[in-house]
Amino acid sequence: MWKEIEAREAGKMRTNSFTNRIKSHRVSTLHLSNHKDIVSPHRASINSLQVDLTEGRYLLSAAADASAAVFDVQRATDYEGNGNIIAKHKSIFAIDKQHEQGHKYAISSAIWYPIDTGLFITGSYDHYIKVWDTNTTQVVMNFKMPGKVYRVAMSSLSTSHMLIAAGTEDVQVRLCDIASGAFAHTLSGHRDGIMSVEWSTSSEWVLMTGGCDGAIRFWDIRRAGCFRVLDQSQTQLGRRPPVLERSVTNKVLMSKSLSASHNLSVKPRALQKKSANGNSMKQTPVGRIPAKGSAKQRLHPGMLSCHDRATAHYGAVTGLKVTEDGMYLLSAGSDSRIRLWDVESGCNTLVNFETVRLQTTKAIQLATTQDSALVFVPCMTTVKAFDVWTGRTSLSFRSHYECVNCCWFSSQDQDLYTGGNDRQILVWSPSRLVSDELGDRFVQDTDNWSD
Amino acid sequence: MEEAREGGGGGKVRALIEKATNSTAAEVDPRILKAIKSVVRSSDSELRLAARTLLDLMKRDHSQVRYLTLVVIDELFIRSKLFRSLLVENLDQLLTLSVGFRRNLPLPPPPAVASRLRSKAIEFLEKWNASFGVHYRQLRLGFDYLKNTLRFQFPNLQANAARIQQERRERETRTKEILRTKFETLRANLPSIKEEIQSTVDEIGQCLNIILTQEESMPLAPLDDEDFVEFRSSELQQLRLDSLKEGEKVCENSDNKVVFDTLRELYKLLMTNHLISVQELISVLIRVEGADNRYRDSALKELIDIRNRLISVKKKCEESGCASTDAVKHWKEKEEEDFWEECKNGPFENGSSSTPIRQNGDLDVASNSSKVKNEAPERSKENTFENELPSCEGGITNAFSLKSKLLAEAPVMQWGSYLNNWGSNMDILANQRGMEFESHWGRVDYDAVIPADKIAELNIQATIYKEDQVEIPPCHAPLSTGALCQRRDLRVCPFHGPIIPRDDEGNPIHQSTSMDKTTLDLQSNLVGKLAKQAVMNVRDADKEEERKRENNKRSVKRAKLARIREHNEAVLRDAAMASTSRSADIGEDVEVVKGDKSLARNKKQTLASMLHKKVTTKDRIAQKLLNSRVKDSTVKQLALGEDTNYREAFPNQW
Repeated sequence: MWKEIEAREAGKMRTNSFTNRIKSHRVSTLHLSNHKDIVSPHRASINSLQVDLTEGRYLLSAAADASAAVFDVQRATDYEGNGNIIAKHKSIFAIDKQHEQGHKYAISSAIWYPIDTGLFITGSYDHYIKVWDTNTTQVVMNFKMPGKVYRVAMSSLSTSHMLIAAGTEDVQVRLCDIASGAFAHTLSGHRDGIMSVEWSTSSEWVLMTGGCDGAIRFWDIRRAGCFRVLDQSQTQLGRRPPVLERSVTNKVLMSKSLSASHNLSVKPRALQKKSANGNSMKQTPVGRIPAKGSAKQRLHPGMLSCHDRATAHYGAVTGLKVTEDGMYLLSAGSDSRIRLWDVESGCNTLVNFETVRLQTTKAIQLATTQDSALVFVPCMTTVKAFDVWTGRTSLSFRSHYECVNCCWFSSQDQDLYTGGNDRQILVWSPSRLVSDELGDRFVQDTDNWSD
Repeated sequence: MEEAREGGGGGKVRALIEKATNSTAAEVDPRILKAIKSVVRSSDSELRLAARTLLDLMKRDHSQVRYLTLVVIDELFIRSKLFRSLLVENLDQLLTLSVGFRRNLPLPPPPAVASRLRSKAIEFLEKWNASFGVHYRQLRLGFDYLKNTLRFQFPNLQANAARIQQERRERETRTKEILRTKFETLRANLPSIKEEIQSTVDEIGQCLNIILTQEESMPLAPLDDEDFVEFRSSELQQLRLDSLKEGEKVCENSDNKVVFDTLRELYKLLMTNHLISVQELISVLIRVEGADNRYRDSALKELIDIRNRLISVKKKCEESGCASTDAVKHWKEKEEEDFWEECKNGPFENGSSSTPIRQNGDLDVASNSSKVKNEAPERSKENTFENELPSCEGGITNAFSLKSKLLAEAPVMQWGSYLNNWGSNMDILANQRGMEFESHWGRVDYDAVIPADKIAELNIQATIYKEDQVEIPPCHAPLSTGALCQRRDLRVCPFHGPIIPRDDEGNPIHQSTSMDKTTLDLQSNLVGKLAKQAVMNVRDADKEEERKRENNKRSVKRAKLARIREHNEAVLRDAAMASTSRSADIGEDVEVVKGDKSLARNKKQTLASMLHKKVTTKDRIAQKLLNSRVKDSTVKQLALGEDTNYREAFPNQW
């Protein structure tokens, strides 16, 4: 590490790569933090976790006992243990059934308003989506959904809309507009309830939804109908190199792909062209490629029925996560598979993730690191970190006593938060620096051989 | 290098651990344990290996192995940091295997050891959490999960001990505080208290002086009034003398009444106030731990002096016998208690030794004594007077016997306020009880009357039936050792026949002779008793006979059944012998043939043997009976129908 700092000082290393190296090193040392306890006020399984996107400071958790709580993860409320080495983070506030406007049943999903921490949104099994004012802990808006709400999502980069995408028991995805307090869109296409909803991180108009029918659909909210259904049999081998690993040979391709991703929503044809040009791409039905673009354009609202019936998983799609750069989509299904999709081509990249078993009945929340090198997946009682590109298990976090439902990676301080059915929110943090270790030498844990 | 050492020395710790856990004992052999510790301490690789081995052993499908493994784990856990850090990584697994909280992974048999394993694991977890929880989040997490989510009961040893300690400390500080404040007040008040006591003592002294001078001048007169009475009983005489003496003492008249009153009051003050307060102060001084020891000692000395003086004054008062109501009461009570002890009658003691008068006295006092005990001496004096009065009239027993009979019959009432208007037939004004009704809600009818019959109705006594304890007299038949038989049977001693009254040497006393001695009234009583006894005897005999008859019938039936059962068993045995090749007897033979080697192995308890259920006779019989072949044979047997019935009914003829 000192060498790296020296290189940075000498200007041999770029700022970006330096921070990335430090970060990835820290991520590789993640372990159960002994110095950071989150005191969970929840009396049932934790369904959702999110650290706010603006400050990276407030953790929002939602649980099955209709409670949601907010924690300050930067500043502890009190300390414990001799030498005050255990920092306890108690909830700043919690809303539960006792709250006059609280939810009646389990909250399945709670998210921060992406612009600031003044609002947060909860979706519950009692069919309601509520928008809360954080400061007064009062409900400012209420959306009645046709069924149990499984997942809500807001676009983190939207500048022109304030839509909450909601996946419910119902087959239709609804977009709730905070500005007007009404449903702005009703997107139909799924044949079963929708377990997971995710906004694209590259375009504010693109929404991805995964349903219990095993389909993952892409929607452009400016147009009617879905414009893509991911098909697990449509595959490509390998991947385009990540943005950060620039090499001379890939540079041209890189710029192309970047431009393509910018044009993605505007010009589907450009996308099509790009995917045809991709060097590492291999599509099985070769003859169909040229026809596909035009056909899709023509058939767009209704699409070809065989396209429309394509599935991404055998079983329900329980989790979706777009990588930070918006180029790849990770999906988890009740068939205990995780698939990595190329967003632009819509192809299954055939990365084999060594999952053991995934929870099948509940929606799970995946997390990726900022450079999309690792994906954290709750696999029953453990959380596993897989290498996104190879699918190998690089880390395995086990300390939960029951199934883990959700995880959140805070890219700011490289902390991983996991919540599970055992009502605990665990913090996994990188090992501390040496100076920190020296600080609590006086309460060292030592050998104690009496004989 | 490391690998090689692990390969070479690794075998050792593994073998040691396996040896330690492969036992049926409740604890690990301390020598092996020590060896394990010393081996593990020597190198980290050994420790790693040990951790791995132990975790492997925890997966064994045998609670005993897991239990011993857990004990070894605990030993290493509390000692080695490396071991701890290795183990907490897999704590959830360890807890699953030792506590068995997952439904799909219950603890393996044997169940007894499994429950011990669970309790031990919980105890260990608590201990570990208390001592190392700060350093290991996993420990805290596991503890928290078991405690708060699964609601396991932890023994809570440390917390309990700490709590008790804390409570005791608090109590001590509190008492200390109280003592200190008491000491402070004492310090402030001591002079005034001393003064007060001194003045009281002085006054008592003066009063005593006055009385003593008066008493000297008084005549010791009124004995001769009753001189003509001839006392038959020495007890009564004693009683009378005592009462006279008492009367002499408490003698007061209009002249010295005031003095007596003051004296009484002062005495009371002395007893109830000063003496107690002085005692208290002394105890406070003894217990307090102040900085001012000199003051404490001097005050203590002073107080003890005061106490001694008070006691002497008290004695003086009691000696003069004037005001000491307490003393009189005490004396009276003692006397009464003596009576009580004497007048206990056993069922067979006919009171033949005591004179009728004495009995009267007994009864009288007995009926009144409960009141006497709690009331003023005047009252008791009256009582004793009553005792004397009839005896003055010449010892005519008729009136007494009537009275005693009535007294014996009379129900004993509970004391209560209703006794105030006992026997009165008046109506009672409801609202005239001295209560202020002015500010009562609503109007009050001052003339409201509760009619007499209503009052009577209200005063109806509910009595609870109480079984009176009868003391069963001992048999008292002479034994060969010279002692008397101490068995207490109601009617018949199993060794010495029916229980009859016997004298001190165990010779039976004939009822008739004792009857002669008793007086008439008692005789009649006895006759009644005897008649009752006779009736009861007859009834008992009847019952006995009936029972015997029933028993006979039953025994006949039982014998019949037994015969039938015997026959059945014989048939079954025959059938089983015939149909099975490996009957129990043959198996036994084989066992014997195997020789002492197998016997020795059988005797030694092994882990596998713990898993086997202990086979009881019942099981064996059940197995035999439920054996399919036997079942078949029985079915066949049943199919034989009438023939079988016939045979079962007359097994002898088969």
